Amino acid sequence: MVQFNNETREIAVKVVYYGPALSGKTTNLQALFQKIDAKVRGRLMTLDTKDDRTLFFDMMPVFFRTAAGVKIKLKLYTVPGQVMHESTRRIVLQGTDAVAFVADCRRSEIASTLAYWNNMLKNLEANGLDYRSLPIVIQMNKQDLDDVRNHDEYQDLMQVIRPPIVPAVATRGEGVLETLHLLLQLTFRHLDSLVGLEKKWKVSEHEFLDTIFAHVDLKGANLEGAGGTR
Amino acid sequence: MTLPPSVLQAVVSLGDLLDLKSFTEVCQSFAELYRVGLKVFDGTGNKLVDVKVGNADFCGYIWQKPDGRSQCIATVGRVKSEAVPEEAKVTAFDCFSGCRYAVRPVLYEGDVVGRIVFGPFVPDDLVDLPQTLTSISNDFDAKLAAGYMQKIRRVPQGTAEKIVKHFADLVDVLVFTGHKNLLTARLHIEAIQESYRELQEKNRQIEESYSALKELDRLKSNFLATMSHELRTPLTSVIGYSEMMLEGLGGPLTAEQREYLGIIMEKGESLLQLITSILDISKIEAGRVKLVVQESELGQVMRDAVATVMPLARKKGLKLLCEPQPDLPRVHCDREKIRQCLINLLSNAVKFTTAGGQVKVSGQRLPQEQVALTVADTGIGIAAHHLPRVFDVFYQVDGSSTREYGGAGLGLAIVKSFIEAHGGQVKVESVVGKGTTFTLVLPVRASATTIPMVSSSHAAATG
Repeated sequence: MVQFNNETREIAVKVVYYGPALSGKTTNLQALFQKIDAKVRGRLMTLDTKDDRTLFFDMMPVFFRTAAGVKIKLKLYTVPGQVMHESTRRIVLQGTDAVAFVADCRRSEIASTLAYWNNMLKNLEANGLDYRSLPIVIQMNKQDLDDVRNHDEYQDLMQVIRPPIVPAVATRGEGVLETLHLLLQLTFRHLDSLVGLEKKWKVSEHEFLDTIFAHVDLKGANLEGAGGTR
Repeated sequence: MTLPPSVLQAVVSLGDLLDLKSFTEVCQSFAELYRVGLKVFDGTGNKLVDVKVGNADFCGYIWQKPDGRSQCIATVGRVKSEAVPEEAKVTAFDCFSGCRYAVRPVLYEGDVVGRIVFGPFVPDDLVDLPQTLTSISNDFDAKLAAGYMQKIRRVPQGTAEKIVKHFADLVDVLVFTGHKNLLTARLHIEAIQESYRELQEKNRQIEESYSALKELDRLKSNFLATMSHELRTPLTSVIGYSEMMLEGLGGPLTAEQREYLGIIMEKGESLLQLITSILDISKIEAGRVKLVVQESELGQVMRDAVATVMPLARKKGLKLLCEPQPDLPRVHCDREKIRQCLINLLSNAVKFTTAGGQVKVSGQRLPQEQVALTVADTGIGIAAHHLPRVFDVFYQVDGSSTREYGGAGLGLAIVKSFIEAHGGQVKVESVVGKGTTFTLVLPVRASATTIPMVSSSHAAATG
């Protein structure tokens, strides 16, 4: 769960990129790594196998202070996508505050996407996390390929909860910031309702998102209607 | 169910991320290279490394003076724990002695996890010993102290900052690598523990389903045994009264009535046989059958069995031969069970052999105190891929609902159970279109074992 440290005025938020193998989770983090100012982020730690498949996870910390002096730390993780790493996925999900579900939007991937989606809900539950209230965004990645799903073809993922969907081409960096922005907006609202970020910590949604995205190269990103980023 | 806390959730300290022994070596070689002392503290102020270069005599001399000692302690305290900005910058701490320390926080993932203290060194703009030092005592020997200070390296502030930045970059790589290795190692373990926990959970579920299934299977066998028994009682009456009527006990009958009664009796008998088989298999499954072992003459058992099947064989136009070898030994066995085995095999043979064919039962003495009873037919045969399963309960070579040959698939399963209970074994050989040979191998002296359970999940007979 989100960690608040009253003494040092810190908020630590954990975001996990979850999804089937080869859906583009690591690509998302790599794109963010390129776009986020090196001053406010750490290295991208990748624990991978020889063949470039993620073995355990990728992790990238992002950290900054608001005007009121509140330190905000984001830790972005990916899970390993291959089926055999089920237990690692469950471990990485532990204590997450938000989830970006990265899916391959081609019709040929419908079955495995749904299986991973349901599997994620199960794993969230196993970690004592309530997916009904947890901020979750689905990123429909690989929109540049053939035979992609239409907007009305996501019903299979909407059976239990109805998360927002963001289209993306992560290899070109498209939709990557939009996904994170929307997810962090939902996360702020969720945390605010839980602990009163605005009242107690004097951090507004506007400031929360602005402070983060002030350090991000927004070229080509479309973040309108989302918290008022510059 | 919730998972135990992962290393990913844990706050790690600098000491956990560095191998202190080799890190100390790195610090030593670094300090030797620049000839300046080096200290590294973790986030809570614990000293991890302390390398002193050149200042031992100078500081030792000051330490001898009470005022010098107390001021030294104060300076070291400031250098170690006075707040410095949380950013990648060097803060200079001046010592009352004229020396200087360069301090820089160790930052990792935006947090301060420790600090690097470079010094003491002598700032290159220092000309004379400062008054703060010379006044610590009346007998302070400035010449001696200045001599000691010569052993401490002079460093321009800019150079000191560069050196510290260089060292901080080195520490950053070491910390990152250490953290990566720590996470890799711990996550390996956690992933295995989690997989193990998951397997345990699945095993438990499988075991539960298995015991539930076993209980159901037991109930099914019980039900079958009870029902077979309940079915047999009225059926015996049906057959018995038909027989009485046939014998004319109820008055004279027309030829037609006789024929009908004959059919009722015949069908009743085969129904009775079927029910008896079910009862047998239920008993075997429930482990309730015991062998009644007695010395038996197998030739007689064979002739009894043949006599039972003879009417059927005649009706089908088959030749039924009985050829026991004359030197067949007397065998310790359950005579009734062996007779039933032979009847089951002979009935099958008759069923699957077409008119004009031949069914032969023979008995031979085998080496090692064994005998073989063989039932061979010239029937349709069994395809090779069916052979391994013909002894399974309820198994039918022709499993379709429109199959030509009747039967419940129990006969061979019963044969196998009975023979194995004698410590013997059943073999089958067959050529499609030519015929099938079943061989029962029995020890001359059977040790009465309990009847082996037949598995209904595997399922048993050609007919």
